[in-house]
Amino acid sequence: MRALRTAASGMAAQQLNVEVISNNIANMNTVGFKRQRAEFQDLLYQNVERMGAQSSAQGTVVPTGIQIGAGVKAGSVYRITEQGTPQQTGGRFDMAVDGRGYFQILLPSGETAFTRAGNFALNGEGQLVTDDGYAVQPNISIPQDAVDVSISKSGQVQVITAGQTEPAIVGQLELATFFNEAGLEAVGDNLLMETAASGAANVGTPGDAGFGQILHGYTEASNVDAVAEISALIIAQRAYEMNSKVITTADQMLSVSAQVKS
Amino acid sequence: MENAAYIGLSRQMTLRRELDIVANNIANADTNGFKVEQLLLGSELGPRARNDFVRPSVSFVLDKGVGRDFGQAGLEQTGRSLDFGIEGEGAFFQLNDGVGEAYTRDGAFTLDPEGRLTTQAGHAVQGDGGDIILDRTLGEPAVAPDGTISQNGNLVGRLSVVRFDTLAVLEKGGDGLYRNASNAAPQEAMDARVRQGMLEGSNVNPIIEITNLIEIQRAYESVTKMIENANDLSRRSVERLGRVS
Repeated sequence: MRALRTAASGMAAQQLNVEVISNNIANMNTVGFKRQRAEFQDLLYQNVERMGAQSSAQGTVVPTGIQIGAGVKAGSVYRITEQGTPQQTGGRFDMAVDGRGYFQILLPSGETAFTRAGNFALNGEGQLVTDDGYAVQPNISIPQDAVDVSISKSGQVQVITAGQTEPAIVGQLELATFFNEAGLEAVGDNLLMETAASGAANVGTPGDAGFGQILHGYTEASNVDAVAEISALIIAQRAYEMNSKVITTADQMLSVSAQVKS
Repeated sequence: MENAAYIGLSRQMTLRRELDIVANNIANADTNGFKVEQLLLGSELGPRARNDFVRPSVSFVLDKGVGRDFGQAGLEQTGRSLDFGIEGEGAFFQLNDGVGEAYTRDGAFTLDPEGRLTTQAGHAVQGDGGDIILDRTLGEPAVAPDGTISQNGNLVGRLSVVRFDTLAVLEKGGDGLYRNASNAAPQEAMDARVRQGMLEGSNVNPIIEITNLIEIQRAYESVTKMIENANDLSRRSVERLGRVS
């Protein structure tokens, strides 16, 4: 019976849906996290009676035909790169991007990763690094005698050192944008990698056309909407239950047939 | 003599097919742009299982085709600038999947590395002048209800939203795509509206589908009972008439 397998594909799809939703909810408080959405597509159709087929020698044709679908499959799970709310933290090296663009991070392997999570810190050498100690690109070093640090909207890093009144420029932050941000590959730890689908990174100065601005002292909250996720979870659960109902029905019909000859 | 069993069998087979279709509807209750289907049944005069000139001929059940309800489904707000929903029954986005033209109601689009507007499967979305190519330096695209795409005030193109005079010419191709099974040409759907940041859900009504499921199951049970009774009848007559007293 085809219905059994069709319903099983529906259950598998809803299970994936619940997995995506639960990951969103789990990352509700992750800095810079972008929610994901599972999208489904119908599976292939079997033409039991083809539309437009000749139904007699006189040239009459079947007007509608019979097509029976084989269920559902996951089309894609994509990231919704909507802006998250900037949250004031007061952190000295906390930064949020308001608009498009990713910070560039140098991984120990030498590759460049991209992130929206701007909760940076200094390492032992005074270099601006992520939580995991990976250096922000381009390298920015804060002198040890810096009293105050300020980062402008255009990403200019200025420090006031002890005994000085004039701020000194110590670095310039850069942002990377992509044609297809949803095509970036998430590798965990809030990091994303460039892929063939995302296109090459386009690096530029914050505040320029097409690039976002830097908000110093803020971090970007995740864009997960708890209410929307919970209602999506309810819908997914009910859909899962309905598919299991189909399996039960198909099973009972088979058993009725099997009991005819007793 | 076996008429009852054959008629019953024809109903059983259509019921199974109906179950397959209901199962597919329920599996796609959460698929963007999915349109609900149902099996259309008719009666078919058939030859009897024995030669009898007096009684009228028997009618079998036959599935004539699959009917699709192209009714509008609800639009869900997603807040993504490349999600589009069509408001207007029977209108479709036009795609080019490399082989030929395809049509879809699922407007969850994305960009390829060259900036071309495509579906999640990579089929190019068609506009007035072929593929639609966005310029990334100009920021988020804005789409007007008539499908006009602009970026930062510059006109980029216009999404092509089309409709067929007869929707029966469309064949489902899977992956949310419809294909044109005839040589009918689509026309521009003037009354359809494109809504940006929205996606059309599935127009499957779960209550109706579950009710169908119950009906199918009960009908199957009663038809099976009928076959059983007919079988019982012939078994008993063989037993009784064959007895020599």
